[in-house]
This record gives sequence, structure tokens and C-alpha cells, in this order.
Amino acid sequence: MTEKILTKDKQKEFLSRLIKVYQVFAPVEKEGNLLFSQINTPEELAEEYRNTKLPPKELFFPHSEALFRFRKGQVIEESPNEAERVIFGMRPCDAKSLTLLDMVFNTEGFKDPYFIARREKTTVISIACAQPQITCFCTSFGGSPVSEEGSDILLFDLGENYLVKSITPKGQQLIDSLGGLLTDAQKSDLKKRDELIKTALAEMKSEIPTEGLKEKLEGMFDSPIWEKIHLKCLGCGICTYLCPTCHCFDIVDEAVDSEGKRVRNWDSCMYPQFTIQASGLNPRLSNKERLRQRMMHKFNYSVSNYGQTFCVGCGRCIRNCPVNLDIREIVKLISGKQEAGRSFQ
Amino acid sequence: MDEIESKLRQTAKQLLSEGKVDLLIGYRQGSLPSKTTPCFITQEQEAAELVWNSFCTNNLAVYLPGLFRLDPRSKKREQKKVGIVVKGCDCRSLVGHLKEGQVPRENLVIIGLPCQGMIDEKKIVAKLEGKEIIKAEEQNGQILVVDEKGQEIRLAKEDFLRDCCLVCQHPVPPLYDILIEGKTARQAVSDEYTEVKELEERSIDQRWEFFQRQMSKCIRCYACRNACPLCYCPECFAEQSQPRWVGTTDDPSDIMAFHLGRIFHTAGRCVDCGACEAACPMGVELRKLTRKLIKDVGELFGYEAGVSAEEPPPLATYKLDDDDEFIK
Repeated sequence: MTEKILTKDKQKEFLSRLIKVYQVFAPVEKEGNLLFSQINTPEELAEEYRNTKLPPKELFFPHSEALFRFRKGQVIEESPNEAERVIFGMRPCDAKSLTLLDMVFNTEGFKDPYFIARREKTTVISIACAQPQITCFCTSFGGSPVSEEGSDILLFDLGENYLVKSITPKGQQLIDSLGGLLTDAQKSDLKKRDELIKTALAEMKSEIPTEGLKEKLEGMFDSPIWEKIHLKCLGCGICTYLCPTCHCFDIVDEAVDSEGKRVRNWDSCMYPQFTIQASGLNPRLSNKERLRQRMMHKFNYSVSNYGQTFCVGCGRCIRNCPVNLDIREIVKLISGKQEAGRSFQ
Repeated sequence: MDEIESKLRQTAKQLLSEGKVDLLIGYRQGSLPSKTTPCFITQEQEAAELVWNSFCTNNLAVYLPGLFRLDPRSKKREQKKVGIVVKGCDCRSLVGHLKEGQVPRENLVIIGLPCQGMIDEKKIVAKLEGKEIIKAEEQNGQILVVDEKGQEIRLAKEDFLRDCCLVCQHPVPPLYDILIEGKTARQAVSDEYTEVKELEERSIDQRWEFFQRQMSKCIRCYACRNACPLCYCPECFAEQSQPRWVGTTDDPSDIMAFHLGRIFHTAGRCVDCGACEAACPMGVELRKLTRKLIKDVGELFGYEAGVSAEEPPPLATYKLDDDDEFIK
């Protein structure tokens, strides 16, 4: 895998060339929110940013997606989007989340053709974080602000240049296609990169105790901690919808008479209807059971099923929770490192 | 420590130690510098954690209907005594709950605090242009903010108040058992509907375009609904499946139907506490709609929600001498 240099004055040309060949998605300021959107000119890319408001999962697993249409008993298949795509400017935590989603949507015995088609057609170009936020805790779950996991290409912002590192053959292919636009990295560039890695890691301010978390949760289904932590939870879907790894969905038919479509919509374990059964019984009656489910799924069930914690430490749920219900506090509580209900500090 | 905060802690401690309340809902310092967080305390020693400052934005009344709801399994209602810390707007929501029979008055101890207006964290974030807030506290009517570079910035509180606080007419709780006095409430502005009037003057097409643009930001997380003290329905129309009233997709018509349906249910009830907009992660300007309804209800019925516990709600009563102006 190669390491190249892209000078910042050539960044626009770099993006322009990508736009000619690919559908390019990048962080764009839209109505006050930084979101991954398709760009048609390099100028649309946001200049400086920490991370997007919404995670990139929507580009692979849309909020609402027609699986197929039907008309008088006849099924009409939806043709998947054929375009090759590049996502530019993703953060390493979000890139890692894609590898977790792969485990759900592209696993033995369950292959989701819609998700897989999009993943195969996408090249991910990430930018390492030089300035993690106070809510970032990727290192607590095996991630890193400079992690390569899930990226095809990883950029390091060295000030005047980007160091461009190919991670996968797909990434290498893209770099090769750019020919002379990139130059070989010098030793001094690699040194700068190493300094950036050191600084970024030192800047990680938030660390939570995660050792043995899965095992601790084994015996905690009836723990009194659930009685207390859910009290302030409003039961909205912000934490699940802004989470890069939450992936639950609901399938409904949107039809008039015998014509319509079968749609897959995002759903949230925090919603009351999530578990309501045809009989009317709802086994998860309150936010207590729902919040417990969310924690169990992230930190226990997914470890059993996929060997991975389904939290990448991006901090979106912390920044955006309307009642400041901080997932780090919950993890501390589970780990027995904090008195029930007390604040995080 | 602030005198009011100290009085609040003392009051809470006394209520808990004397067994006058089983549970007290107030604010505590949050996990982030510019946030407080709702807290539910049951032990008198926990009273020392209570805070009262310019970051107490949450409307705590949102929790009350849930606390007194009929338990679906035991079919019983909680009989506990609940103490609650309220600002003017929170208290007006609570008055609404009383009028709508959601919360038993005899089970409540209302601790009222005259409000000087609360800070909109998003305005500070915008001012810092991407730099993070490491410290934020109030000092003599100013907000002292320290950013991640260690730079201290002093901000005039008035410039960073929440929009709903800027037009608030009732900073003092209209109903309380204990009023913690100390500071005078914020003086209200003279013309509170400037923004609504500006919107009313636009053409129908421009208004439609405005609302479509706002709704295009919505991700259907329902935070606006769940943060709203009025949205206490055990099952929301937006999620009912038998029958299904509104589609659950992200289609603009489904999203608009949800918001319009929800917001119209708040007509004559909304007190403009701003909880919906504060909760929205996407910055949807919901108050443009709710404020218009508040203005209309005021003009049509001469009614202001939550101000009096006795006055019947306009959409749940009738008057024989009503001239029915609105349907002519």
C-alpha cells in the first residue's frame, strides 16, 4: 500500500477528478447542519469540521427505502443504484462503523442485497482526526482518531499537504487512477504524520472503563441500575438515529388498493411500538426496558453475535441528547466505577 | 454558591427529610460544561447536587404525566408525592396537566423559581465557531466561557438567551407551593410576535416553501414530541398502526403530516417553553408554527395557556354568546 502527498492547492482538482468519475459524497453545510451530501463541485465541501451531525449509515441504509413495488399481485423489483461512489472526508470512527454494519447486513445466512450493493460500489476516503472532541471516546472501544479500519484511503492533514495512504486494493486503484496528481511522500512527511498521530492520541480526553463490560452485563438484566438511569430519558430516537451503528428497521407496505411498495424504514428500540406484538402485548413497557435493551444490544448481545461492541465512541448521542443522558455515565455505572445516578465528572 | 441555589437545596432537603415528598425532580450539573441535566432525587443528601443557573433549560413538567400514569400491568396509579422545580414556562405546562386531569394536584409540591431567562447553548456554540466549550458559568449577568484553546470569553447573557425567553411574558411561575425568591424575573419585551407577523406577511407560496424547507431537515426522531410536556398520549397518532393515520417513511408528506398533526394538537395548550426546538437535533424551527397558534388563540379567544388553573381551555369548552367569528 502506498503513501502519497496531495498538496492542498490541488485538493479541488483532486475532487473535480473524482466528481467526473464517481458520485462524490462529502460533508456539506445544509440548513445549519453538516451532512454527507452529494457534491457536484469541490467548493461545496465544508471547509473545517470536526464531524457530521448525522453518521454516514444513511448512505448505505437509507431512512426509508423501497424494497420492491407491487401492482395487482405482480412484484416489480427495485433496480439498485448503479453508480460508483466515493465518500470523502469521513472520520475514522464512522469508517469503523461501516465494518460493524457489514457484520449485520452482510453475514453468513443473511445477505442484504441493497446494503451490499451500495457497499461494493463505494470507496471510503477518511480523514484522520487531529482534534478529537470532548465527547469523543473511540479509544475506549478499540478505535483511534487515526484508525484505518473501514477506510479504503486515509488522509492525514499535515497543514499544507495531505498524506494519502491507501488501505485497501480499492483505495490503491483510486490512487493509481489519479496518476501524477499525487507525489511520493518524503521521510519528512511521514515524520509529520507520526507527530500528528501522537498529538491526536494525546488529545483524546475521554476514556471510559470497558474491560469486562460484556461479562458484567451478563448478570445485570435485573440490576437496580436500570431503575434509576432511565428516569430522565425522554424516549426519543436521537441516540439511535444519530448512532452510526444502530441499524434497526421496520418494514411496512405503503399501498393504495393493490398498488404500492414495500418500504423499509429506520426504527428505534427507544420507541414504544418497537416491540408491540399483534396480540397488543408490549414486553418492553417503559423506557427502563428500552434503554436496557439499547445498552445490552450495544455492549453484550453484539459481542456475543459478532465479537464486537456496537459503539465506536463518536459521541453524537452525548452531544445531542436533549436531557444529557450520557452513555459514558451508563458504562461507568455498569462497570461499578460510579455511584448510581451521579454526574459524569 | 448562589443564594437562590442554596435556598433551593435547603428547601429540597427539608421536603425530603420531613417526608413531604418521596421524589424531587430538579437540575444537576450535566456531563458537559454548558449543560445541566434533569435529576430525580429521593435522599436528602442528594439535595446538595441540585443546581440553579442559566443552563436549566429543560422543562421538567414533561416527566409528570408519566409518573402518574396508570400502570398497564397493575392498573394502579402511583400515589407518591412529587416535588418539582419549575420556571414560569414549566409551571404553565404543569397547570395544563392539572386542567387536563393528567396529574393530581394533591400529590405535587411545586417549587417555583422566578426565571431570569435561560441560555441557548446553540448560540454559544455558534459564537465559538467550532471551538469546544470547556467551561461555561454565569458571573454577574455575564457568561464566562472557556474554549478548548484556553481562551476566556465573556458574553453578555442577554445576547445568548433562548428565543422563547426573549419573548417570555410569564417568567414567574403562576402557581406554586414554595416560591424561592431572591432575584427579580426578567423583564418581558413589548412586542412578542415580531417573527410571527413577519411570516404572516409572506405569500402563501413563500410560507409553504418556508415550512417545507424546515421539515426537510426532520429525521423523525420524535424528540420534539417527547420533549413536549403536552405530548403525553400513551400512543401517538404518528405511530399507531391500527389504523395507520400517518406513514412512517421520510417522505416529505409523511413528515409534514406528523408535524402539523402534532402541533395542531397543542393549539390553546402550548406555553412556548421552547422544549421542542431545544430538543430537535436538526434545528427545525418548530416555534414558528406553535407561536402562530398561540397568537391566534390569543386573538380569537383572549386566552393564554397555563396562566390560570381555573379558566377553562378554549378548545374544550363553549360559550353561548360566542360569535363563532372563526368559521364565518
